[in-house]
Order: sequence, then C-alpha cells, then structure tokens
Amino acid sequence: MTADAARRRALWQILLLLAGLLVLAAISAASVILVNQARDDSRWVVHTVEVQNQISNLLLEIRRTESATRAYLLSSGPQFLSEYETSAAAILPAVDRLVALANDNPAQVANTVKLRAAVEQRLAEFARGIDRIKNNDIQSSIDILRRGGANQAVQDIANITRAMRAEEGRLFVERTRTADQSQQWASWVTVAGSGLVVLLAALSIFLVRRSSNARDEAEARLRDSNIDLEAAVEERTADLREANDELQRFSYIVSHDLRSPLVNIMGFTSELEELRGDIFRRIATLANADPVVPDVNGELPEPALPEQDKQLSADFTEALGFIKSSIGKMDRLISAILNLTREGRREFKPVKIDTRELIEGIASTVAHQAAETETQIRIEPLPDIESDRLAMEQIFGNLIDNALKYLKPGVPGDILVKGRTKMGFAIFEIIDNGRGIDPRDHQRIFDLFRRAGTQDKPGQGIGLAHVRALVRRMGGTMSVSSELGNGSNFTVTLPARWTGHNRDKQT
Amino acid sequence: MSKPVTIIMIEDDEGHARLIERNIRRSGVNNEIIPFTNGTDAVNYLFGKDSTGLDHKGEALLILLDLNLPDMTGIDILKRVKENEFLKCAPVVVLTTTDDAQEIKRCYELGCNVYITKPVNYESFANAIRQLGLFFSVIQVPQAST
Repeated sequence: MTADAARRRALWQILLLLAGLLVLAAISAASVILVNQARDDSRWVVHTVEVQNQISNLLLEIRRTESATRAYLLSSGPQFLSEYETSAAAILPAVDRLVALANDNPAQVANTVKLRAAVEQRLAEFARGIDRIKNNDIQSSIDILRRGGANQAVQDIANITRAMRAEEGRLFVERTRTADQSQQWASWVTVAGSGLVVLLAALSIFLVRRSSNARDEAEARLRDSNIDLEAAVEERTADLREANDELQRFSYIVSHDLRSPLVNIMGFTSELEELRGDIFRRIATLANADPVVPDVNGELPEPALPEQDKQLSADFTEALGFIKSSIGKMDRLISAILNLTREGRREFKPVKIDTRELIEGIASTVAHQAAETETQIRIEPLPDIESDRLAMEQIFGNLIDNALKYLKPGVPGDILVKGRTKMGFAIFEIIDNGRGIDPRDHQRIFDLFRRAGTQDKPGQGIGLAHVRALVRRMGGTMSVSSELGNGSNFTVTLPARWTGHNRDKQT
Repeated sequence: MSKPVTIIMIEDDEGHARLIERNIRRSGVNNEIIPFTNGTDAVNYLFGKDSTGLDHKGEALLILLDLNLPDMTGIDILKRVKENEFLKCAPVVVLTTTDDAQEIKRCYELGCNVYITKPVNYESFANAIRQLGLFFSVIQVPQAST
C-alpha cells in the first residue's frame, strides 16, 4: 500500500465523519422545523374546531333567546323575561367572539358581517315581540309566529351559519390533512436521516476495518521482510567471509608459487653472470697476443679486453643488472603480499592498552631518525583502548614512520598525536607539518603498491594499505585530510572496546 | 659405512633441481642423486611395489624434499617416511620456498631433520646448498633398519 493511498483513505474517513455530522445537523434542523409546523397545523385545526364551537354557541344562545321569548309569550312569567334578557345579552358578545375568531379568513369575515346583520335583525324582532307582550298584544305576536314560521332573519342566520360551518368543515379537512402531511414528513425525515446515519456508520466501520486489516497486513509484511533482510544479511556476510578467505588463500598460493620460478630466474641469471666472466676472460686471452704470465704473487692478472669487446661486456653486465634488480623488486613485492595475507590470517586478541605508553614506545624506537631530522613528536593525553596490541603498534608505527619519512625539506618536523572519545569510539589524529598529499591522491595512497608525490624515498606502497586493512578488521575507519605542502592529518577511529568481532565477522 | 649414501631429491621444478644438484656437486659431494619431479614417482620408488619400503632395507638414504608438489604435498611424503619402519631413520631435508612458521613447525613435529627456505637471492641460495653439501659430506647416515 502506498502512502498516497493511505492519505486518500484517511481523507475519506474524515469526509465520511463530516457527512455524518452534516446529516445529523440537517435531520435535527428539519425535525425542529417540521415539529413547529405540525404544532402550527394542529393549532389551526383546533382553531377551526373553536370557530365551529363558537358558531354552535351563538346558535344555542339565539335558540335560548327564542325559546325564552316564546315561553314569555305563552306564560308572561317574569322568570322567562329575565332569562330572555340574559341570553339576549350573551348573543352579541358571542358574535363578537366569532368575528374575532374568524377574522383570519376573508370569506368568514364577510359571512360574519352578514351574520351580525341577521342576528341584529333577529334580536330586534325578539325585542319587538317582548315589547308587544309587555303591551299585551299577544295575539299579534302569535299571528306573527303563525305566519312567519320562517322569517327572513331566521333563514339568513341558518344559511350563513351553514355556510360558515361548511367553510370551517372544509378548512378542518384541509388543515387536518396538512397536519398529517407535516407529521408524515417529520417521520420520513427522521427515518431517512437515521438510515443515512446508519449507512455512514456502516461505511466508516467498513473503512476502519479495511485500514486496520491493511495495517495488520503491512505489519506482517514488515516482519517478514525484516526476517528476510536478516537472512539476506547473514547470507551475504557468509558469502563475503568466504570470498575473503578465498582471496586470502589465493594470494597466499599465488605469492608462494610465484616465488618458485623466481628462484630459477635468479639462479640461472647468476649462473649466466659466472659464464659471462668465463667467456670474456677467454675472449681476452684469445685476443691478447702476449701470453699471460703469472705476477709476483703467482696469480693470473685479469687480461685486458679489446675496446669493442669491453662495450659488449658492459652491455652484458647492464642487462644482467636490470634482470637482477627487477627480480629483487618482485621478490620484495611477493614478500609484502605474503606478509599481508599472513596478517589477514592472524587471530586478533583484544587486550587493554595504555595508548600513551604504546605511542611513547613507538616514538622512542624512531628517536634516532627524529633527532636526525630535528623532528619533535608531541603526544597529547590519549584515551585508553581495548584492542589488539600488535595491530595498534603496526597502525601507529606506520603512521609515525610515514610522518617522519615525508617531511618538508629544510623544515624541522613537528608530529602531533592526539585523541578523544566519542560515542564508544576512540578517535586518534596524527598531524604532521610535512610535505602533504595532493587531494587527488587521498584515495590512492591507501591502495596496495600505490604511492603518491615525489618518489624519493624507498618503499613498496604497502604501509597505508596494511594500516587501513588492520583498522577495518578492528571495526574502525580511517581517513586523511591534507594539502600538498601543508602537512597531513590522518584520523583513525576505532571502537574503544573492541570485542574481537568486526563488521565482516559477526559470529 | 658399507654402502654410500644415496640422495633422493624430490623437487618438481627442474630448474631448482638443476641448481641444487650443481651446487651440491660444487661443494664436492659426489654421491648418487636420484631426482623425482613428482610425488607419486617418489613414493613409488621409496616404498616400492608393496608399499612397505622393504626394497630399501639396509640402504643409506638421504631425502631432499620440496613441499609444493603438483600431485601431493611434501608433508604427506614426510609423514609416510617417518612412519615407515625401514625409512624413518633416513634424514629428511625439507627444501622449499615456504617460510611460513606454521608449516616449519609442522614439518619438525613430523620428524623432518632440517628445514631450509630457498632464498630468491642466488648467492644465499648457492651458499645454503653448498653448506648443505658440506653437511652431507660429514653427516653419518644410518642404514635402514634390518
């Protein structure tokens, strides 16, 4: 899984969470709005019912007034008169209340205006009837009753209230439906919202599960690859060790077997040299006209050669000289390789080393050379170390030797050895004021048989290669910083407590 | 000394063999030198057909041995010679190019009598062989046990 995919997945989860939050907020808002609407709707339904109720109240009051009027007409009982008065007084306030209730609906407003007129007319009729009774004109009142079972005002009231009821009935149905709808909406929204939330939750759970699965898988893979890596490192180390051993054996055998023919070349060259002497002596004897006579000591003097034969003899000697010096050089190189491979096979034993004492010992062995070149060797306090003593002697011996060997002509030498510890490593520096090394040669000087600078000193180009091999074997590193003509600074970093394991030999 | 000493020279390099022989002769040693250029021939000669060494019963032998042979190491021959009841008294001079301390120690442990490293420098080489020759001329070699 790539980092990109992981980032995308995290983004998805955040988005899902946000979406869930938004859905919840929307559901809450919608619920509040819908509940409010439902309450409004219910209020309107209640309102309709109230209007209908008021209409019934009004009609009841009118009927009571009517019946009180008629009762009074029949019996002229004063209790009916007072009943008439109370109920008649209640009619107009009832109409007012109805007007107040119905003023939201323009149609009902118009109806109430008409109703008020009709009611007032009817009230007037009642009042007239009561007056007639009071004036004992009962007969005309009965006539009026008999005649006009259905007078105009009664008709109007009946019509108008019917219309109003019908209107309110219609409104009731309509408003009930609206209220139902609102409630339905509210439940829909709730159900849909809950469903959505559940869906989102399921989706996030799925995503979380997937990412945790992916993480587990990645962990498992990491563990596997760690194990693989360790195995690979071990294998590689074993290979390297084998290759190193192989190389050691190889160089040992090669250097060894190279020596054998060298003995022959050298041997027969020497034999040739002997032969050369014999041949030229004979030539001289033959060329000389005068017989060779023994001198006073009884020995034969070396006969003189003719001029051109002298030249031949010189050429012969020169050629043999080159052959012999080359063989000598080759022999030294082979010996050096042999020594190196022997060093490589030597077992190192880590021991406690008083570094200062060790370097003072080296300084005293080169004291003679130092005095000759007016060189002072200064040793600063050095950290003690646990390492192989012989290797340490060879490392510092070589470096100090080199410093003494490659001084700047005419300048008294100054060699400083100093050291410090850092994170379990001892760092030593050997600083000189000698002729220095061109930065281009900094790598080269550590190579076997390679040298740098003016070749005016004897040497095979082995010292630094050997030193670096030793430092590496003891788990350390070394480097040089130098400029031509400005001295050199060799830095050797070694483990302060080397336990005998180096980077190549972990076992 | 009823019988003159025979020098067995086991040396794979014919050049070396020639140089050694020449220098031994120069030192005035005239004993018979039998050269072998490989281990197998030398072993066949030393131990005979029956591999017991019975053939050389009563002879006085001196063995010059090189360690680096093409078909076997000189150490094997040295070991067999020193383990053989007829040959074990024969002086063995190991003459080889190896100057490895381990190798030298091993040879002496196995019973070699002299170990000489061939110097590349011919003067030293010739000198060493001549001195060896002088040594041969004075050394008393026992006859193989009877």
